Amino acid sequence: MTKRIALLTVAAIASAVAAPISRAQTPSGAQTLPDLSGVYYPVNAAGGGARAGGAPPAPQVPPKPLPAPARTAPLSDGSRGRSPDAPVLTPEYMKKWEAMRDSRIAGSSDSDNTAKCLPPGMPAMMNMAYGMEIMQTKDKITFFSELNDALRRVYLDGRKPTPATLDDPTYAGYSIGHWEGDTLVIETVALRDNTYIEGFTPHSEKMTVRERIRLLPSGLLEDRITVTDPIALVKPWETVKTYRKATYPNDQLREFACAEGLEHAR
Amino acid sequence: MKACTFVVLTMLAAAGSFHASLLAHHSNVGFAVETVNTATGVVKEWKWMNPHTWLIVDVDDGKGGSVEWAMEGRAPGVLLRAGWTRTVLKPGDKVTVHYSPSKDGSKVGMIARVTMADGRVLPNAPPAN
Repeated sequence: MTKRIALLTVAAIASAVAAPISRAQTPSGAQTLPDLSGVYYPVNAAGGGARAGGAPPAPQVPPKPLPAPARTAPLSDGSRGRSPDAPVLTPEYMKKWEAMRDSRIAGSSDSDNTAKCLPPGMPAMMNMAYGMEIMQTKDKITFFSELNDALRRVYLDGRKPTPATLDDPTYAGYSIGHWEGDTLVIETVALRDNTYIEGFTPHSEKMTVRERIRLLPSGLLEDRITVTDPIALVKPWETVKTYRKATYPNDQLREFACAEGLEHAR
Repeated sequence: MKACTFVVLTMLAAAGSFHASLLAHHSNVGFAVETVNTATGVVKEWKWMNPHTWLIVDVDDGKGGSVEWAMEGRAPGVLLRAGWTRTVLKPGDKVTVHYSPSKDGSKVGMIARVTMADGRVLPNAPPAN
């Protein structure tokens, strides 16, 4: 009996540790939904844009000379071809990619929206390399990206896109969402075609994005993304992003104000 | 056309914004990111600005003189999390810069790491998350 109680206690503690999902009270109080609010950084982000917890490190004197860094940033000019995990493009869109690859290898920033201070757009925005802030209410969830101060709003109140919104493509697109149990399901439409799915993979205005977002038992946040584009993609492309919630002081995103650089150029 | 470019560049240099103006139009693809060179020199200016910070350095030319380089750093938000601050580098500081050179051969680099005279290291990314 004592042994059984001990086992139950261990199980209870384990489940408490494994399921730190915070919940938001609905107005009725009858049921609760996961509360996704907070600042997050991508897990194992390429380029190391983020740090999840603890004080910022003071500059350290390393114990011995450090080896020289192998690179300053991930290679992003396409000179090694497309990753096997990359979206599979139709011949027409592959040609567009190849033209941009050649331009990038030559050092041109023409195909880099970020260098022009433009928003990264969906779904590339969900890389959130410089951190993401989620603001959640009952009727709306807002995602903010420190990189280029980019914003997207997801309506949860049952509204649908109107013909006017469908005819008005934007970088973040028009997003509606609903809860399926503890999973937030989001559909995004009305996306501009001058952004990239990932890297510099092009797409058409027919692209739509479906996401399933949930807190994992580990406490990490997961976004399973499916991109469909009947014109640019041979088949829908799926990817999974995971993020870790930040603690003080890294739960404070910094202003980006990209136009400072443009101002300086005048 | 070349003369026109020269005049514009001269005017920008005179206005003191020559290097910063270059980077507003750059992205990572402007640099040979997998080549990392080393330069030692003296800080001329440390610009804490978006979308990229700038470290202007008088780099030793090995002949007793120096050549001005503009080293591009990442955005202040990322660098704060990596341990940098607005005032961490000051004019006159001796630094060693690991950088990737610009593909166009200009004296512009992208910072991988800065090492200060006392051995402190400023990396271009926060610790892995």
